[in-house]
Amino acid sequence: MDCDRCGGEAVVHAAYSGAHLCGDHLRESVEKRVRRRVRRDDLVSREATPENPQTWVIGLSGGKDSVVLTQVLHETFAEDPRIELVGLTIHEGIEGYRDKSVEACVELADDLGIRHELVSYEEEFGIRMDDVVEDDPENMAACAYCGVFRRDLLSEYAEKLGADLLLTGHNLDDEAQTALMNILEGDVAQIAKHFDASLGPLSEREESEEFVPRAKPLRDVPEKEVALYAHLRDLPAHITECPHASEAYRGEIQQLLYGLEENHPGTRHSIISGYEELAGIAAGEYNSEGGADLRDCAECGSTTTREICRKCSLLESIEAV
Amino acid sequence: MTTVTVSVAGEDDREVELEEIAGGAPPETPTYADLLSAVELSPHEATVLVEGRPVPEDRPVEAERVTVLRLIKGG
Repeated sequence: MDCDRCGGEAVVHAAYSGAHLCGDHLRESVEKRVRRRVRRDDLVSREATPENPQTWVIGLSGGKDSVVLTQVLHETFAEDPRIELVGLTIHEGIEGYRDKSVEACVELADDLGIRHELVSYEEEFGIRMDDVVEDDPENMAACAYCGVFRRDLLSEYAEKLGADLLLTGHNLDDEAQTALMNILEGDVAQIAKHFDASLGPLSEREESEEFVPRAKPLRDVPEKEVALYAHLRDLPAHITECPHASEAYRGEIQQLLYGLEENHPGTRHSIISGYEELAGIAAGEYNSEGGADLRDCAECGSTTTREICRKCSLLESIEAV
Repeated sequence: MTTVTVSVAGEDDREVELEEIAGGAPPETPTYADLLSAVELSPHEATVLVEGRPVPEDRPVEAERVTVLRLIKGG
């Protein structure tokens, strides 16, 4: 089977478009989709100039998604004095696993010559995920604790690093799963929040002074193509599964989507395109009602809708063990 | 019978009989997607490598030995 574009040997069949692509044309196609998403989401602000460059902080875990995102953005903006990239890596305290992926991050940042920051749950909160999983005071999945702490540190350090934008490596499969989960859970408020937090074009989002805006430029690319891109370019991605990974519901949705995609190629794309439109409408509706009531957490001062933010209440119950 | 050895990282090698997984009516040859499905994987979560090189999953199986590259969730 030959590449549709050059007749070379194909490495992938994208059933949703019918295309067969060789390694070089897959690479070109992935890069094109990321750059198109950067344009469509208006990520390069008009205020960005060589004199006033924008800082883009990338959540760099060392997994394939964030490594590919960092590589493509670096190649896109290396010669552009308006954008400065910074890699931000978070060590959750997972023995063996995260140590190796931190090495992948350091290697990539060195190769590309970009600034790299490393923060840990241990230094920031005095906890390690290995211990949290052991004690499990709230009787929750590991990812439920870890997600709260990770989001907190990503926002805090994006702010500290003077970020104009916080980017993460979510791919098409991740976003289609989240969209479907929010729909199936009937959580319209969450869908509206999703739009303002990271989905809509920057120019259409409700501006928030409290949070650095987020973006996901890899979200048009299926996970398999991201993995192939990393494999074909031999990028230093770390490829071991987290030993605590346990998102049961997401796993169920993922399997459901694989089946749907198999029988109806293009399902992930159509879920996302419809969901983004709906999310925009929901966001408009919620924002005209005045939006969420935000205040400062009584413990740490971070912005929250509660008296004490979720991170602080989780830390309290972990310390109580 | 044509046997294909499928090796998935972290798992024991599996022997798959092509005649048992025929995708379409004979004499149609099963595809690499059929091979993945025989080891309970979707083509959206795995890539078949033949001599280290990724192959499109709609291609008919020609190799006698393949390696499967599985996606790893998250970072």
